Amino acid sequence: MLHSSFSSRPRATLLLSASTMLLLLLTSPLFWAGQKTALHLDGTPADPFLENPGKPLVLLFVRTDCPISNRYAPLIQHISTQYGEKAGFWLVYPSETATAERIRQHQRDYGYKLPALRDPWHVLVAQAQVQATPEAAVFTADHHLLYHGRIDNLYRDFGHARPAATTHELDEAIQAALFGKAPPSNQPGVGCFITNVQ
Amino acid sequence: MTSSVRTIFACLLGFSSATAAAFPKQEATRSEPLTPAPKQVTFNRDIAPVVFHYCAPCHHPGEAGPFPLLTYRDARARAREIARVTSTRFMPPWLPEPQESDFADELRLSDEQIALIQKWVQQGAIEGAAADLPPAPQFAAGWQIGRPDKIIEAEKPYTLPASGSDMYWNFIFRAPVDTTRWVKAIEIRPGDKRVVHHANVLVDRDQSVRRQENEPGAGFPGMELKIASETFDPDSHFFFWKPGTVLKPEPEGMALRLDKNTDLVLNIHLQPSGKPEKVQPSLGLYFTDKPASLFPVLLQMENDQQLDIPPGEKHYVVTDQFTLPVAVDVLAIYPHAHYLGKDLQALAALPDGSRKTLIHIPQWDLNWQAVYRYQEPVPLPKGTTITMRFVYDNSSDNVANPSDPPRRVVAGNRASDEMAHLWLQVLPHALPGVATDPRMLLQEAMARHNVNKNPADFEAHYNLAAMLLARGAQEGAIEQFDEAVRLRPEDATANNALGAALLAVGRSSEAIPYLTAAIKAQPADFDAHYNLANALASQGKFLEAIEHYRASVRLHPDDANAEANLGSALAEIGNLREAKLHFERALEIDPNHELARENLEQIHHASKDVKP
Repeated sequence: MLHSSFSSRPRATLLLSASTMLLLLLTSPLFWAGQKTALHLDGTPADPFLENPGKPLVLLFVRTDCPISNRYAPLIQHISTQYGEKAGFWLVYPSETATAERIRQHQRDYGYKLPALRDPWHVLVAQAQVQATPEAAVFTADHHLLYHGRIDNLYRDFGHARPAATTHELDEAIQAALFGKAPPSNQPGVGCFITNVQ
Repeated sequence: MTSSVRTIFACLLGFSSATAAAFPKQEATRSEPLTPAPKQVTFNRDIAPVVFHYCAPCHHPGEAGPFPLLTYRDARARAREIARVTSTRFMPPWLPEPQESDFADELRLSDEQIALIQKWVQQGAIEGAAADLPPAPQFAAGWQIGRPDKIIEAEKPYTLPASGSDMYWNFIFRAPVDTTRWVKAIEIRPGDKRVVHHANVLVDRDQSVRRQENEPGAGFPGMELKIASETFDPDSHFFFWKPGTVLKPEPEGMALRLDKNTDLVLNIHLQPSGKPEKVQPSLGLYFTDKPASLFPVLLQMENDQQLDIPPGEKHYVVTDQFTLPVAVDVLAIYPHAHYLGKDLQALAALPDGSRKTLIHIPQWDLNWQAVYRYQEPVPLPKGTTITMRFVYDNSSDNVANPSDPPRRVVAGNRASDEMAHLWLQVLPHALPGVATDPRMLLQEAMARHNVNKNPADFEAHYNLAAMLLARGAQEGAIEQFDEAVRLRPEDATANNALGAALLAVGRSSEAIPYLTAAIKAQPADFDAHYNLANALASQGKFLEAIEHYRASVRLHPDDANAEANLGSALAEIGNLREAKLHFERALEIDPNHELARENLEQIHHASKDVKP
């Protein structure tokens, strides 16, 4: 069963219902082998859309070695705790080189409790349309991309941080996804470019 | 046996943090369309020399840069960021505009270098031929100029919280010397350099700051420091660290005197990283056997009283002007404002009508504040007028504005207050045929300038009085101390100083009310007890004097003068037995104490005379 509202997502297979997908997997065990996907830290394929059915999905793109995204760690953890089970929260590490062990260490260092994914082939980067770390993407429960971009406006540019943020786009976007409010307009984040040479 | 105890207030090198004003708009750098075949830019040939010289000093392991930039692979992984931050001149951080008097270790990219980087990234960040790659830069591992003669580590670490606003922390180090030594360099190791924005060592000769610690050795928070000194001994050195600082020993003959019982106070600006960070800095001290023969002075220009910036004001100007009473060589300059500072400059108008820009920072950014040393000293003749002109932006357009919405801002030590300070390290020239230390002429002229600028400034009167007292102009000093007491009638330090100055010219009966007031304001003030005891003793009121000498000894059990004077007062009332004990105690503390020795001998003689 195809859902037309998912048409912006590149992998048609992900548009299948869970039961259909299970059937496909059973009948086509080599399906994942040639497919680039995000990965759990244990190396198995990951699809956060399928792992949080019926809930808004929040992807938070970070790097282990990006000082601006690291500075957001307490806020990211706070927001994910604040909304708890109401939405699915995932850290996404889009680096091609960060190993699972390095990511686990990073999570320990910065007190992250939310689950993490690797996205070395930028599958989720493309779906979320993000450019830099830290940026967030908020999807509705039916997987519609509602917002992508900065978490808040703490940084205006490299080296130009406000004493405190005055707008809170990620929080507004989650509220929009949960309660059907109007989402904020997409705003690019300030931080480390995910793709460095185009 | 009169002691005149005085304190000189010096508002010293407060360092603050913040981000700067409006982001500079840079013109996009594009390949010229008229150029038919733009040269291919390669890392190895064109970019590596720039990256190795300007970026790698901070961007290598263990340094402040959050990632290394030592190889093509490193640079390629950050290519877009490098293009972005260089095009806006955010990196490398260098605030002053180019000027006639060059600064040492300038880290300013040329427009051509910036354009080259943009082109390299636009062309796909090509590596190029291996043969073109210059040797990778080599950096000293560990201490920059060899193992220091003494290494001191902060007694206790400070744990920076994971989040929140910038933090300013002060660590206190006791000078690790038993006798006076001369320091030619101090390497500041601020701890984790990724969270430290800058650090600055202040010399606290009278350990006046450590009382701000709640727990000994723990340090204390604070953006700006005020250090009080009991003698005219102007701090003359900048010991400053910022990312990428290359340690250089002080010029020949300009070593810093470091006495026993001196504190070195390290003021550090920290920025939370997202996780708790333990910061435990250390200092490496390098000594020399050559005592100082040249004595530079730190001149502070300021006009904090002009700071009263209405909310929304985008162009608020604060100025100060000072005319040099002696010729000087300017060695270094340090402008300081907080988050609203926008355009900071200092100009010199010479007596011959010519003008020199001493510094011009068109986009102030507190995060990258620094001490700037001139490549060559800048000579300024006597009669040169130095003008400080700072412009502030208290509008919402200033992204660093700590208040949202903007509020009225006046001078103060907090990050949300403002400052208008300009420090100049100058080497004054001796006046031909004049024995007076030219430093004193400079400092007195500056103190008088401050009094004229702000007649209601307590510290200005106090410091002018201290300068006058130091060169023996006691009556003038008494006038200024008197004005200081008038401004702050209950200030213990000023009352004590006025009392001590009156006592020094023999006006002990006039001194007594001020010294009494000082004790009332601060009952544990050793100086006031001691001076009052002296004043009473000089009037023959020995019983009352003994009471205050006893208080002095209780407060400072190791003060030989207090013990000896207590002994003298006891002897005056005939209590030779107890007097002897105190003279002996004074000699125990200071075996060379002449008064105690002479009096003890007299007691011995007297006791022999009494014996048959």
